[in-house]
Amino acid sequence: MKERNKFSKWFRSLQTRSSLALLITAAIFVQLSGAIQYFYARNGIRKAVQQQARTEIQVRNLEIQNVVTNVETAVNNMQLILNWSVDNPEGIYGVLETIIRTNPTITGCAIAFEPGYYPDKGRWFEPFAGRDENGNIVHRQIGSQEHDYFNAEWYKVSRETDSASWTEPYFDDAGSKALVCSYTMPVYDSKGRRAGTFCSDVSLDFIIDLFGAKNSAYTYLASRTGHLIASPDKTSVMNATLDDVANYFNDSMIDRVNAAMLAGDSGDAELHSKDGEKSYIFYAPVEGNTGWSMAIIYPDKEIYQGVRSVGRILLILTLVGFGFLIYIMWRTVRGFKKLQAVNAEKERIGGELRIASGIQMGMLPKTFPPYPDRDEVTMAGTLVPAKEVGGDLYDFYIRDEKLFFCVGDVSGKGVPASLVMAVTRSLFRTVSSHEDSPERVMKQMNNAMSEMNESSMFVTLFIGVLDLHTGRVLYCNAGHNPPVLIGKETRFIEQDSNIPVGLMPAWDYTLQDGQMESGDLLFLYTDGLTEAENTVHGQFGEERMMERLRSLGHTPHAVVDGMTEAVHTFVADAEPSDDLTMLAIQFVHPIEENEGRKSEGGGRSITLQNDVQQVPQLAAFVEEVAEGVGLNPSTAMSLNLAMEEAVVNVMNYAYPAGTQGDIDITACKTKGMLTFTITDSGTPFDPTAKSDPDITLAAEDRPIGGLGIMLVRQLMDEVLYERKDNQNILTLKKKI
Amino acid sequence: MNTKITEQNNELVAQFEGRLDTAAAPQTEKELAPLADCAGKNIVLDCNALEYISSSGLRLFLGVLKGAKAKGSHVYITGMNDDIRNVFNMTGLTNLFEFR
Repeated sequence: MKERNKFSKWFRSLQTRSSLALLITAAIFVQLSGAIQYFYARNGIRKAVQQQARTEIQVRNLEIQNVVTNVETAVNNMQLILNWSVDNPEGIYGVLETIIRTNPTITGCAIAFEPGYYPDKGRWFEPFAGRDENGNIVHRQIGSQEHDYFNAEWYKVSRETDSASWTEPYFDDAGSKALVCSYTMPVYDSKGRRAGTFCSDVSLDFIIDLFGAKNSAYTYLASRTGHLIASPDKTSVMNATLDDVANYFNDSMIDRVNAAMLAGDSGDAELHSKDGEKSYIFYAPVEGNTGWSMAIIYPDKEIYQGVRSVGRILLILTLVGFGFLIYIMWRTVRGFKKLQAVNAEKERIGGELRIASGIQMGMLPKTFPPYPDRDEVTMAGTLVPAKEVGGDLYDFYIRDEKLFFCVGDVSGKGVPASLVMAVTRSLFRTVSSHEDSPERVMKQMNNAMSEMNESSMFVTLFIGVLDLHTGRVLYCNAGHNPPVLIGKETRFIEQDSNIPVGLMPAWDYTLQDGQMESGDLLFLYTDGLTEAENTVHGQFGEERMMERLRSLGHTPHAVVDGMTEAVHTFVADAEPSDDLTMLAIQFVHPIEENEGRKSEGGGRSITLQNDVQQVPQLAAFVEEVAEGVGLNPSTAMSLNLAMEEAVVNVMNYAYPAGTQGDIDITACKTKGMLTFTITDSGTPFDPTAKSDPDITLAAEDRPIGGLGIMLVRQLMDEVLYERKDNQNILTLKKKI
Repeated sequence: MNTKITEQNNELVAQFEGRLDTAAAPQTEKELAPLADCAGKNIVLDCNALEYISSSGLRLFLGVLKGAKAKGSHVYITGMNDDIRNVFNMTGLTNLFEFR
């Protein structure tokens, strides 16, 4: 059932049907050309048969004529001697024997004398000479009452015509004792009186032999009265007539043919037997005065048997061929189907890969510059996978005025690498959202990835955190290519050796730091750049990279675009061997940018002790900053209030009672934003963790505390707390 | 920061002048001590000359209010500038005090 379904499915398919149609058309053409061939072959054969029939008739005609003429000539030549012998009866036998001896065609000969011609010989006198069984020539008198030749047809005819002629075939019971045809000739005595009839017998066996069954043709000879003298069927000789032939055929044509034969005409005709079988008859008279006519019948079946059997073989061969073709076609279509299925699968995978590629690319920040409203940082990046999906990654985002960024390269390529890449990128985002220090981010990522790393894939990763206020870069490098700092000089940044992420849990990654001066560029990349190969497997190399970096323009875009072009030029037509990733980060110091406007309040700082009595100094500082950036008194007062509340909070809670400590306060203005940073080295204390007091309570129930931080929150636009390097850092921001 | 307490029309009037910030709060708190003895008298907090107040100051005001209420006295605030009134609004103190 299943097989059948498969077949019907196969049969319904377009390819099958179209190929089948093609096949059928071809079959029709082949058969048509076969039919045409057959038709022409038949015609050709028909013509050949006609020709053959004519030739055969001619040949037999000649043979018969040969016999006939021999006999006639011999007999005619003997006429004078025969006439002479009439007058010399004692020489008759000698003459007759001579005739037999010299004419092998003549089986016997006799002179049938007129009744009582020689009175002493009686009424019947017919001297005869012939051959016995042994071929010896013998003679005897055969005329008698029993052999009353006067009533024989030939005798009568001879007397009537009084000329030489051929008799109808008859059985000579006295002389030759065989089926014979005789040539008769009148014999005269010296006085010119008719003495008798010379009769020379020709055995029909001789002629019959000529008409023996030869191939399939049926040849027969008819006498002038329509008796069959010779035919392949010896029994019909003398017993059958042309009428019997006519009876065999159920066709009026045979009557016409018979009439024509009797009239001594020649021609051919198409006949149909009673069984409906077709035959062709060719007929012609035998030359001379025998009055015989010859016919040859070819059964249609026999004529075309050859061409028919060839046609049949051809048909069978064609059918077998077509069967074979159908089988081949079926196999081909099935193969094609399989190929199609494979292609469809490939297409599907290709489609999914394209989607995967889209998803993967969607994970990366792609808009450059990413922070158009920020002056401190400009960036450019690119990631070109060698295959649809790749194992390279880069990512960055800003949190708490710090740029978190990373560049990584997963071992391997393709889909497996891309999965690890996605995991790496998610982990980076997740871990770095609550962890500021790159080495701790790295450590957590490494622990997470080592635990689930069953396929032993690893990632070389560089994580950096750039303080957008100061240009300080904290970084951790887990086996990744060292980034290049492009500043006063162009050099690799220092790197500790740390193992790649995912290899070994609990590895202690080391933290490093560096300082980016305003305008400095940090260039990160993967080995897809340094190991890019050209057609002769030469590598792009670090030297070439450094050389290019020194000569390229001094903006992230110029660096990334210039390097991309350099790689493309180098690689030329070679297949990309690895994913190619580049990320360039340029830092511009916000304070330096505002250097000319320092009086506006950017980048000021003050250090207070944990003593609330220093609040007036704070007030003076804030006032100065506010004045510097040109704030109105109301806003200045709000800032003052917020700062006082925040700082007093720190003073009261960060340092245990009785201990002394410093509180650093910096203010800086960036575009549209005034930022105060309050830093202390006291015990961890997060003022933002406090919840606001319920201000709907009656005076009696209102707690005295908690108002300060509430005011800070309401007065400032952003309040951030972080604990870092054993310091409490509280950042207050106010849009201006 | 100066604080001066006078009695006018059977009301205790506290006049504030300057900045009432955290640094000034302890001193001011001492100076406001007489207000505790307010039985039968209402209290007026005169803020015409008050330039600034932080939560420490607010706490003092709240303390005065609590003390007065316990003795059945009213506390009126007068002469607040817009900035200070805004601070009162933000902290919900506007609902507790009476204003003149």
